Amino acid sequence: MPNEAPAHVARTRSGEPATFLEAISEALWEEMERDERVFLMGEDIGAYGGAFKVTRGFLERFGPSRVIDTPISEGGFTGAAAGAAHMGLRPVVEMQFMDFISPAYDVLTNYIATSLYRGAGPMPLVVRGPVGGGNRGGPFHSQNVEMAFFHTPGLKIVYPSNPRDAKGLLKSAIRDDNPVIFEEHKGLYRAPHCREVLPAEDYVIPLGSARTALEGEDLTIVTYGLMVHRSLEAAAELARDGIRADVIDLRTLLPLDEEAIADSLKKTGKLLIVHEDTRTGGIAGEIAIRMNERSFEWLDGPILRVTAIDSPVPFSGELEDYFLPGVRDVVTAARYLVQY
Amino acid sequence: MTPEPAGHAPTTDPASLGAEVAGDLLYLGFQARFLAESVRDLARSEGLHPGLAGFRMDPRSTVIARAMRCATDGKGDLCHPGPLAPGPALAFGATPLEFLRHLAAKGTSPASAREGGLSWTDLRRGMIGWGGPLGGTATQVLAGAALAFGQRGEDRAALVFERHSALQSGGWHEGMNLAGAVRAPLIVVIAAPKRADRAGHSDIGAAAVSYGVVFARVGTEPPEHLFQTVAAARRRGVRGEGPTLIELLHLGDEDRWAPHDAFAARAMAAEGLSEHDLDAIQRAAAVGVAHAVARLEKEPGPAARDALAPVCTDGPPPPPWTRRDPPGPDTPAPDDLTEQSHAE
Repeated sequence: MPNEAPAHVARTRSGEPATFLEAISEALWEEMERDERVFLMGEDIGAYGGAFKVTRGFLERFGPSRVIDTPISEGGFTGAAAGAAHMGLRPVVEMQFMDFISPAYDVLTNYIATSLYRGAGPMPLVVRGPVGGGNRGGPFHSQNVEMAFFHTPGLKIVYPSNPRDAKGLLKSAIRDDNPVIFEEHKGLYRAPHCREVLPAEDYVIPLGSARTALEGEDLTIVTYGLMVHRSLEAAAELARDGIRADVIDLRTLLPLDEEAIADSLKKTGKLLIVHEDTRTGGIAGEIAIRMNERSFEWLDGPILRVTAIDSPVPFSGELEDYFLPGVRDVVTAARYLVQY
Repeated sequence: MTPEPAGHAPTTDPASLGAEVAGDLLYLGFQARFLAESVRDLARSEGLHPGLAGFRMDPRSTVIARAMRCATDGKGDLCHPGPLAPGPALAFGATPLEFLRHLAAKGTSPASAREGGLSWTDLRRGMIGWGGPLGGTATQVLAGAALAFGQRGEDRAALVFERHSALQSGGWHEGMNLAGAVRAPLIVVIAAPKRADRAGHSDIGAAAVSYGVVFARVGTEPPEHLFQTVAAARRRGVRGEGPTLIELLHLGDEDRWAPHDAFAARAMAAEGLSEHDLDAIQRAAAVGVAHAVARLEKEPGPAARDALAPVCTDGPPPPPWTRRDPPGPDTPAPDDLTEQSHAE
């Protein structure tokens, strides 16, 4: 079997900038080379290389026992991944689209997430896949699934915003002894502005640690995923009016880095939460109550949120553009908050 | 007509099992029988959940589980005892006291009283416990474990007991389909069709054929026959020839013990056991169960704070203060609030 990584998983080795998607491929490839317990399961990930070609060339290098083309049965193969994890393997399950994770909800929440608590031991597995709108995918190929699982103790949820973080966080997720849901925004996969040269050395980014994407003093914008980029665009526009935003990229949603949010809030006194997920039951509500509980004295205004509207993701471009939160929404909310 | 597993050689000669296995089957059968009786008695006297007052067990499950390669070092076969526990659990090394502690949710229970159900997970002894509220989850999980065995070329197989109702859940079919597709060394036993279990599609043999899986149907066949059927299925699985599906036909309370009692008579003859020897085996099983029942009453329940076990390996237990100990006027302010004034 060939040992050479295909071009799209060898950008870093050749010193070239990698896209978000290539960074994910690199993480999977390197972890499979590093640890023979790591294997992949999913629909069309082998011979076809994956719906988005994340695993193109993997079957040839690692063989069919480590790159397993599964039947179309998300519940079945996620459950099987749990059994393999019990036996010491470290499965990485691909959902072709994260919308399809719903059939696996039972086994993820009832069996996998409860394993350690029930005394059944650690459950080192990753469920990863593409999420998010903006691609005219309609209701069944555009969802953000984080809040369907955020309420479940025992899971971790990761949602990176750039290639460097995606690679380092995915490596951490694979090495973690707990089940991790890893969301990859499709809008970032091949986005030219996201390409970057990644560190040549093996690196990981710890789960549960947010990063400051932009420093400012006038308000805090807490966000993640593609919305980090929208928020940074908004911050640039606000800066032209002399408003300096502190933009926090959560990177990991569960566990939530409360300290990073609270530290920023101490500095700014104003909190705006931006997410692409829908409004009701979105993570903004949880962040708001946590800051209310622990940092109420620091608040100089209401906590605001910019989110998608409470509806399924519509198919039409005009409708989807209206549905999704945009730069203009963030700017408007930020101006209101700063003037409060 | 459904195909019999290849390599199957029916016999009613206990000697074909060897003295050790025959003795184990006798002992495990009696132990499971006494334990089931004790569970019912405890349920009636409120020592266990009243819902267990009708608890029954099927001695065929003990025979099936004993046909696997049980070990205590985490390198043997794997079993999900499912609805027919305690038989398979006992065969895989669980003790009656552990079983009762688990059912009674004692602080000393194997799952530290954080899980109920009829079985728990102990990977060292090769047991995977309750799979969740939906039928079929255990088949998915055990299929994945069996896949791992096959991937590593290990001499190991997985056994899962499911209710007949699993056939009515998509999860079970997904697990079977995957196991068949990857030729996993998996044996799935469908047990005790009754009540609502009968409501849906019930042709298990047709399901097996559709997944390319060998099928066997078991009624009142002798334990020797059943043991060898399972052993053959196990060998086939380890050779990479895929899963086997076994249907245990429902037997009434009287019928279910008849094969075991007949086996005991044959075993006595074959192994030269006297009535006294058989009585000694029964007494040993009974004493173990009686000891467990007596001990159970003295076992402590869990402490409330045992609920605060970590849910992640690297995470602290969830903080309880918002509900148990809400902050009040005397709650100290965090240091950072007292050190700096934010009033200006």
